[in-house]
Amino acid sequence: MGFPHTPHERETLVLSKYFGDTDAIGLDGWRKRGGYVALEQALKMTPAEIVGIVKESGLRGRGGAGFPTGVKWSFMKPGDGKPHYLCCNADESEPGTFKDREIMRWTPHALVEGCAIGAYAIGAEVAYVYIRGEYTEALDKMNAACKEAYAAGILGTNAMGTGKTVHVYVHKGAGAYICGEETALMNSLEGRRGNPRIKPPFPAVAGLFGQPTTINNVETLVAVPHILTNGAEWYKKFGRPDNPKSTGTKLFSVCGNIQKPGNYEVTLGFPFKDFLYDLCGGPLPGRQFKAIIPGGISVPIQTREEAENTPMDYEGFVANGTMLGSGGVIIIDDAQNLVKQIARAARFFAHESCAQCTQCREGTAWTTKILERIVAGDGTHEDLDTLLEIGENMTGKTICVLSDSCATPVTSGIQKFRGDFEALIKRKKVHMVPAQVA
Amino acid sequence: MTHSEMGGVRAPGDVAHAEHGSYTPVFTGERRKELDELFTRYPTKMATLLPALWIVQEERGWVSSEGMAEVAELLELTPAYVKGVVTFYTMYHQHPVGRHFIQVCTTSPCNVCGAEDVVNALLRHTGCEELGVTSPDGKYTVIEVECLGACGFNTPLMVNEKFIESVTPATVPALLASLG
Amino acid sequence: MADVKMVNLTVEGRAISVPDGTSILEAAKAAGVLVPHYCYHPGLPVAGVCRMCLVEVEKAPKLAPSCATSVAEGQVVHVHSPKALEARKGVLEMLLINHPLDCPICDQSGECELQDYTYQEGRAEGRYRDPKRFNPVEDFGGDVIYVANRCILCTRCVRFMDDVAHDPVLTVAERGDRALIGKFEGQDLTHAWAGNVIDLCPVGALLSKDSLNKVRTWELDRSASVCPNCSQGCNMIVETRDNQVVRLRPRPNAQVNEYFMCDHGRLNYRWMNRKDRVEIPMVRQAGVLASADWEVALRAAASVLAGNRAFVLASPNLSNEALFLLGRLVGRSGGAGAFRVPQGSEAPLPGVDDLALRADRAANGRGAELLGFARNDAPLSGLGAGDVLVIADEELAEVDAADAAKAGAVIVIGTTLPAWARHAANVVLPIANCTEEEGTFTNLRGRVQRFLQAKAAPGIARPSYFVLGDLLAAMGDGSGYWTAGQTFDAMTAAVPAFAGLSYDRLGLRGAMIAGAMSEVGA
Repeated sequence: MGFPHTPHERETLVLSKYFGDTDAIGLDGWRKRGGYVALEQALKMTPAEIVGIVKESGLRGRGGAGFPTGVKWSFMKPGDGKPHYLCCNADESEPGTFKDREIMRWTPHALVEGCAIGAYAIGAEVAYVYIRGEYTEALDKMNAACKEAYAAGILGTNAMGTGKTVHVYVHKGAGAYICGEETALMNSLEGRRGNPRIKPPFPAVAGLFGQPTTINNVETLVAVPHILTNGAEWYKKFGRPDNPKSTGTKLFSVCGNIQKPGNYEVTLGFPFKDFLYDLCGGPLPGRQFKAIIPGGISVPIQTREEAENTPMDYEGFVANGTMLGSGGVIIIDDAQNLVKQIARAARFFAHESCAQCTQCREGTAWTTKILERIVAGDGTHEDLDTLLEIGENMTGKTICVLSDSCATPVTSGIQKFRGDFEALIKRKKVHMVPAQVA
Repeated sequence: MTHSEMGGVRAPGDVAHAEHGSYTPVFTGERRKELDELFTRYPTKMATLLPALWIVQEERGWVSSEGMAEVAELLELTPAYVKGVVTFYTMYHQHPVGRHFIQVCTTSPCNVCGAEDVVNALLRHTGCEELGVTSPDGKYTVIEVECLGACGFNTPLMVNEKFIESVTPATVPALLASLG
Repeated sequence: MADVKMVNLTVEGRAISVPDGTSILEAAKAAGVLVPHYCYHPGLPVAGVCRMCLVEVEKAPKLAPSCATSVAEGQVVHVHSPKALEARKGVLEMLLINHPLDCPICDQSGECELQDYTYQEGRAEGRYRDPKRFNPVEDFGGDVIYVANRCILCTRCVRFMDDVAHDPVLTVAERGDRALIGKFEGQDLTHAWAGNVIDLCPVGALLSKDSLNKVRTWELDRSASVCPNCSQGCNMIVETRDNQVVRLRPRPNAQVNEYFMCDHGRLNYRWMNRKDRVEIPMVRQAGVLASADWEVALRAAASVLAGNRAFVLASPNLSNEALFLLGRLVGRSGGAGAFRVPQGSEAPLPGVDDLALRADRAANGRGAELLGFARNDAPLSGLGAGDVLVIADEELAEVDAADAAKAGAVIVIGTTLPAWARHAANVVLPIANCTEEEGTFTNLRGRVQRFLQAKAAPGIARPSYFVLGDLLAAMGDGSGYWTAGQTFDAMTAAVPAFAGLSYDRLGLRGAMIAGAMSEVGA
């Protein structure tokens, strides 16, 4: 198993402090490191008080959308007579993102604690942790942690001796990117195909099993115990002074053609250039960054020049024409065939489309076919126009955003690296593919 | 498409992937208890569908039509419904696979770091030659898989339930040797 | 329903007011604007997946799926704006990229919504030049065949089997562009109502084996009718080609069958095309049954009946009008009338209240009862010695024929002449069957529904009410029942059970008899 890198001095270790510390995995070790103090404290508070603190801290969803967590929790109305549910989205499947995996591998009890607090805060007695099936190690660690927590009376019908009921159950996915979409996750948990649902109704009104439900990302939930222990003010201090909308620390996964890939925890607003060159060691010897995808493969691709001057927070990336997304930074250097990589990204989405919406089912596959044809040397200049139009047809018109996500790297890729596409088209093979009339 | 390509009509009752011989139920003894315990975790029986299918796959190595039918009956669903779910998720095997089922991530982040070379090395050294085809000795099946979520440790792959990171073409022979 | 909140909105410039909670698509329909759609069907739960019904709603950031978006006060909806048209054109292009475009050999051609909308709003030509997806044709069992290559994954069939038939044997299998409609090996579309998936399919993916390659849809003539194959009275459309009934399809009626029709009903149409019909009146003269013209035959029948007690054995598939006139025949002679109803097993459609293939496999048992006929499994038990036995379109089998022996004379008023009656009948009067005339049936809940003529009767056979009206006139009961409407109105005047109904006001959806309302849903 890969161990994490030695932390860089400019990282701010809150969530990742115990990554690599094998003693932190078990309950005893975790308790020695301050584990479950926040839960004990939380169970003595009212749910409204917890929600208030989280709201005040400015914590925002770390899964991609960045919705304020406290506000999301406040949509739930404890005491409405309905069963409430918390779903922890541990389906981490956005290419380029592998931070939740590390959280669950090294600090599973942190997530159990975060889930327990979250469940209590929204009036739920049950939290389900939906972990993608490929994360076998994370699944083992989380199952073991839950078992320990039940045995120690932390979870169950008398959680920490308070008489309150808090269950945390691990649910294993079975291979579907789309189950990271919250309504698809709920369908999957219910034993259905992982099809996203039409909204409204929103999960807080009718979610899992038709009941009020909140879905939070792993990283979001593990931040909560720290906020309760240290206070909202403490958490708010992390971030750009001139941007109060993005607070706290954030784990960024870095991968691709870079010296030191891995998970880095920095305060939001950290300068991206320093991050790439200082923390992550810059490009491989003799190479240059060519394209950077800063927030998982679904966000707009950027040139090196565009990307480097971004402050790494929600607003910073948006102002620069892309998104923070899941915080999965993918680096593609100048030795790569960029068009091939964009085609590969499109193939990913074609493989993962749930098949409900026409534009997504057909558009992802069509996009892939055209791109792969261009890569194979059978492309035409018209293909680029067609790709852009397909991209337009795939954007903002479907139930969920998988379709948009497929169009994003393609459209932004053509816009920013058109020369790469045209070079492949000009190098066209001599033989022609007979045109099939569609 | 030409008319001749329309092909024959598949008759109802064709059994695509049936287990040979008579089917022995999976959910007896401990496995049945496990399922009963799962029932207590969810307000519906249907919600245990994914876990129940995992149990079938753990026991049998794959999910056969008979396995789907057994799960359907226990969960009060129809076999067709279960089939719809099984075919949605890529991790359920709908036919038997090699003893070592190797899934290599080749999605973009791993692809830029040479994942396709790893795939080629695996195909060569296992004797599988082709993706998805089980090697002649029945030991290996190699497939490409979409993002395994270990993008910083490329190339990652899974051998059955075991996760292996940082595989390169050079480390493939030793890796295969370690599998036995 | 006075407390329902109404919402005002504008669709394509037309102001409309609809109940709160109505979808934009339905509101547009009410305003006379059809929003193109595939997955939406009013009889099924909303799926919102085809994305064809996208419309522009002013002030909304994105195009709205009109099937899944509720109306809101003051909404301004544009169905045909450039943005909405562009989006739907995009959907159509995507739906066609893998479609085989085999309209010339496709049964759906001519009634295909993919053709219609592409013609209306689609691109003149596609831009797809890569290989198309291919899947083999699959027999789904029952009457259904699945041509996967034409499927647009609207999931209407899956939702029907799941939510309406409560027999989820269909599913969406696989995902991405590999997805297709699947079923489980060995479990077929054998549900008694499964054939509806063929009508629900907006394209040529689900086809009827029964009508496979039989007709081009534009060759069909269509008439509104009522299914005569059980007492439910499902509204239907009779489709004929060259005076042959080739297909029966449901006609929506929220009060009776929603949008559906059972397989027994839809496939049981061959008798409507029987070739062994009586086409000319016949009169027994000198022991021989010989052709006669109508005047002669009617006079002969009247003289046989004169002064005798008439015992009428009526088919429960005769119209209310025919049964009413037969009832008069019985009444004026002090006779009696009886009928029997063939039985089968009941098969409900669970998702629709009070809809089933009924055990009574005839359309008008209820009407026969209301018009004074006695239901009796041994229908000739009431026949008195020397009575004139009037067989009104009843297929009296040989085994019952022995009972008929005590009749003084036999008159057959029917579509066919049973073998035994060739020796027994004194007069034979040929009539049209229910697809060859108009009239009404009363269903088991007391709903009186009109059916229209779909094809011509053979030879010089005449509508049943017309023949009986003439016969009564020949007997001096000449009140002039020249049309089905006149006969119906005479019936409502004479028979209290039908009081208050009017032939014209029945329309094509029917009306309940007085006193039947309280029985609904009982």
